[in-house]
Amino acid sequence: MPERTVTVASSVGLHARPASLFSQAAAKVGVPVTLTSAAGKSVNAASILGVLSLGIGSGEEVTLASDAEGSEGALDELVALLSRDLDKE
Amino acid sequence: MSDESKPLTELLAEQSIRLDATATDRDDAIRQAGQALLDAGAIDASYIDAMLERENSVSTFVGEGVAIPHGTLAGKEAVKDDALSVIRFPATVDWDGNEVSVAVGIAAKGNGHIALLSQLATILLDPEKAAALRGATTPETVYELLAATDEDE
Repeated sequence: MPERTVTVASSVGLHARPASLFSQAAAKVGVPVTLTSAAGKSVNAASILGVLSLGIGSGEEVTLASDAEGSEGALDELVALLSRDLDKE
Repeated sequence: MSDESKPLTELLAEQSIRLDATATDRDDAIRQAGQALLDAGAIDASYIDAMLERENSVSTFVGEGVAIPHGTLAGKEAVKDDALSVIRFPATVDWDGNEVSVAVGIAAKGNGHIALLSQLATILLDPEKAAALRGATTPETVYELLAATDEDE
């Protein structure tokens, strides 16, 4: 299954605005994507509640995965999003 | 989870639970959630403006008929203590096209919000608990729901 590990760049972690922007983007990519915390808990990346429930802080590693066909591009797009400081935009 | 994370129930004063509120619109609902935090002595009044500013930047609607209004980063200076408020609108409020039954106001210093939001989101991910919160008519019910995750930490 294609997957990517990325460090969350947002200075405030993955909550509030960054979490909203991320889950909205995950809902739009058209393939189901799983977000897994370093602690090993997995949620649907398109669920804002799921993303918030992981409680991911700045600088923590997360893994994005999707077994859907053609998901590589979607994963790259979401990785790029997490690599930016979304709270500053 | 960080060591600084307190149980949600300790952050919610009983007077900050208002289960039979009505609001004319989203901003009115946010002001009420902020007012309850202000009445509890958790924030300065300027934090309410920061909550409205945050909402205009990105909606704090999280699904399950729940919104979690809170301030911007800049508004953190106006937070005196980590605290929650729970305002229930039985007639619901239009929240940018979504129906909101419960607004959970959040005030958090430093990075306390991450653990706090994580605990809250974990409760709301359970559809039965989310429904129970939307239908809560007594503070005891709210406390029971918020206490449910404390044991898991």
